[in-house]
Amino acid sequence: MKDTFSSFHPAVNFLYFLAVILFSMFFLHPVFLGISLVCGTAYSIRLNGRRAVRFNLLVMLPTLLLFAVMNPVFNHEGATILVYVNDNPITAESIVYGFAAATMFVSVMIWFSCYNAVMTSDKFMDLFGRVIPALSLVLSMVLRLVPRLKAQTRVISNAQKCIGRDVSNGNVIQKAKNGMRILSILTTWALENAIETADSMKSRGYGLKGRTSFSNFRFDRRDALGMTALIALIALVLAGAAAGENNIVYFPVLAARPVTPFSLVVYGGYAGLCLLPLLFNLWEDAKWARLQSKT
Amino acid sequence: MGSFAIENLTFSYPGQDRKALDRLTLTVEEGEFVAICGRSGCGKSTLLRHLKTVLTPHGTREGIILYNGRPLEEADQRTQASEIGYVLQNPDNQIVTDKVWHELAFGLESLGLDSETIRRRVAEMASFFGIQDWFMRPVTELSGGQKQLLNLASVMAMQPGVLILDEPTSQLDPIAASEFLETVKKINRELGTTILVSEHRLDEIFPAADRAAVLEKGRLLCCDRPAEVGRLLREQGNGLFFAMPAPIQIYAGVDNSLPCPLTVRDGRKWLDTLFAGQAPVRSAPPAQAERRREDRVPAVEMADVWFRYEKNAPDVIRGLNLTVRAGEWMAIVGGNGTGKTTALNLMSRLSRPYRGRVKLNGKDLGKYADAELFRRNLGVLPQNPQALFVKKTVELDLMEMFSDRKMTAEEKRAKVRGMAALTEIQELLPMHPYDLSGGEQQRAALAKVLLLEPRILLLDEPTKGIDGYFKRTLAGILKRLQADGVTIVMVSHDLEFCARYADTCAMFFNGSVVTAGPARAFFAGNSFYTTAANRMARRFFPDAVTNEEVIALCNGNR
Repeated sequence: MKDTFSSFHPAVNFLYFLAVILFSMFFLHPVFLGISLVCGTAYSIRLNGRRAVRFNLLVMLPTLLLFAVMNPVFNHEGATILVYVNDNPITAESIVYGFAAATMFVSVMIWFSCYNAVMTSDKFMDLFGRVIPALSLVLSMVLRLVPRLKAQTRVISNAQKCIGRDVSNGNVIQKAKNGMRILSILTTWALENAIETADSMKSRGYGLKGRTSFSNFRFDRRDALGMTALIALIALVLAGAAAGENNIVYFPVLAARPVTPFSLVVYGGYAGLCLLPLLFNLWEDAKWARLQSKT
Repeated sequence: MGSFAIENLTFSYPGQDRKALDRLTLTVEEGEFVAICGRSGCGKSTLLRHLKTVLTPHGTREGIILYNGRPLEEADQRTQASEIGYVLQNPDNQIVTDKVWHELAFGLESLGLDSETIRRRVAEMASFFGIQDWFMRPVTELSGGQKQLLNLASVMAMQPGVLILDEPTSQLDPIAASEFLETVKKINRELGTTILVSEHRLDEIFPAADRAAVLEKGRLLCCDRPAEVGRLLREQGNGLFFAMPAPIQIYAGVDNSLPCPLTVRDGRKWLDTLFAGQAPVRSAPPAQAERRREDRVPAVEMADVWFRYEKNAPDVIRGLNLTVRAGEWMAIVGGNGTGKTTALNLMSRLSRPYRGRVKLNGKDLGKYADAELFRRNLGVLPQNPQALFVKKTVELDLMEMFSDRKMTAEEKRAKVRGMAALTEIQELLPMHPYDLSGGEQQRAALAKVLLLEPRILLLDEPTKGIDGYFKRTLAGILKRLQADGVTIVMVSHDLEFCARYADTCAMFFNGSVVTAGPARAFFAGNSFYTTAANRMARRFFPDAVTNEEVIALCNGNR
């Protein structure tokens, strides 16, 4: 499905994921963890569809359970002892902590899967090309080179196979030898052909003073609005964190601050932050539907 | 803005006595379209590289190059970078970045333009070249022809006054090549950009060029209107004449006083005037001694072969049936993506069919052991010969083929010498494989493959990037092999080459063979997919497919 948030300026995308992933990592408060996990999962499904559902169910869910179960087996801290296994106490606190840590781990993973879908190499390069112009070109050249080398390896390997010299031919020693030979051919080829690439770069003025970095992305009014909303929400969550709203102690006994109206505001702010991309999507979808119904 | 005047340019590479360019004088007017032709190694590239300081090779140089009336060295790098556009041979090597849009912007970024200007220029170019559809795509997804168009577009985005192209189409198939050259012509026609292009595929470029300059051993042989150049080369009996477009060659072989035709269309008109009112001559010229192919044993048999690269991908080969008889030279022709190369891969076991059988000398291909298959049996010459070279010199590289066999050094050397003689690379033995020209690399690679003494030889596009002269050498070598009983299967886009040398031709379409038959009958039976000579003369001599045949028939029927 088309994702509106992906069409925002890379700076908005990047700041968003930076904030969400850091918050998910450091806020161990169950409410925060729950919000992050639920919103992250929802967004990953919106982004990757059925693939995300399968991944979350088959990989993330077992990981979560495994972590939660493993923690009390190794961690015996906590005051509320439920049962002794081989003279080792299993405590309620360590079970809860296991769930919390597992949720933290899994939600960070899920947010990273969203990051990968949204922050394409283009966006990353554009963002960091502004900071270090040479870096964006180098990255771009690497991204060009890697598939080329892969393709050429295949060509060489096929050619060698036809004279009985591929890695698939012969015994172990011959295989290793043939592999080295292919690598050597690849190196020669790469160096030789790089000369023409260098000519092409020089001929198009590479090395002249004052090189600029062209960007395909424009920071428009919508980006400014998005950025403002994002910063406001981050500020709210940080204010909550400064006030200790996200504090929780798991050992020796669970101790969290009582829920006040301010806590609810902070929870709401955090939920708003985590749902931001989905809210943008909802907004756009509704707008689209409205426009369609008018025509 | 964009004229060159080259005066008495002499150049030799360091450590070489031979002059790569010898007292060369040439003027190129603004807005002119000049084709530079000559054999490979005649100094075409060296000359073109002198027209842009950053690309000029090191060596001793005399003479002056004036750009817009002033010495080229006086134009600073920034001016040269933007005003003199340069497109090189290999489409892949010239691409620097991973995305089409970034590649288009690359030169403009170097010039230090701001994003707004770049966006506008890039948009203009993408629209002019019609490449807006693949603007956001990664370059790996483009075909060879598209890549070369991208290279051209990203040079044109800098708005040069002169465009220099160094054999830009040598790595492209004929259809992509003619599309590319059409774009070059359009640039010349609609933007008035001066064009200097070196080419060995002259059929397309000759009619379009204002003037053609012919280089031989670093000297300028002549520079004149294309028709004049054709006449001149014929008078001199120059070997380069065989690289000329078919109509010129045929015209030259027939004694007449009409104006010289450059294109097939003009050639047909010319024949119309020559043979006005005559009935078509159907009698084929004396056929080559073609043994009946049905009498021979099949060397390669493919029966109902189906193949696809991935489980859910579409079939590439669909129910292919093909038989190659022992001692036969078969050419497989057809458009891009019709499965020609895949068929060759199936014969060499690089790919295996999911249905159907491939047999080699009557035995199932899957049942061969590696050593049995690739030694004294099947040889494959890859499209890119560079994929075979491992050593510092050609000789060491050839010797390396015996590295795992018990032979004395003497025996090895004798074999290598013998093979070098067969493939005509004796004088190249001490050189580095990468320093050879395309045609020479091809022959060195062929020598390497032939050292395994194959009885069946598979060739993928053996004439790609090779000039007419080297093609003849290659054909000679292959004919000699064939005389020794070697079966040859060749995939090629080069119809002239197939018509002239192959015994049988098979046309691929949609994953299988549509029609196959003896080369002459095959090409005479096609209406479009045939040689230029046949297209030109088919009204009068429907069975003639090569230039020589048409000439003989012209002379015999007047």
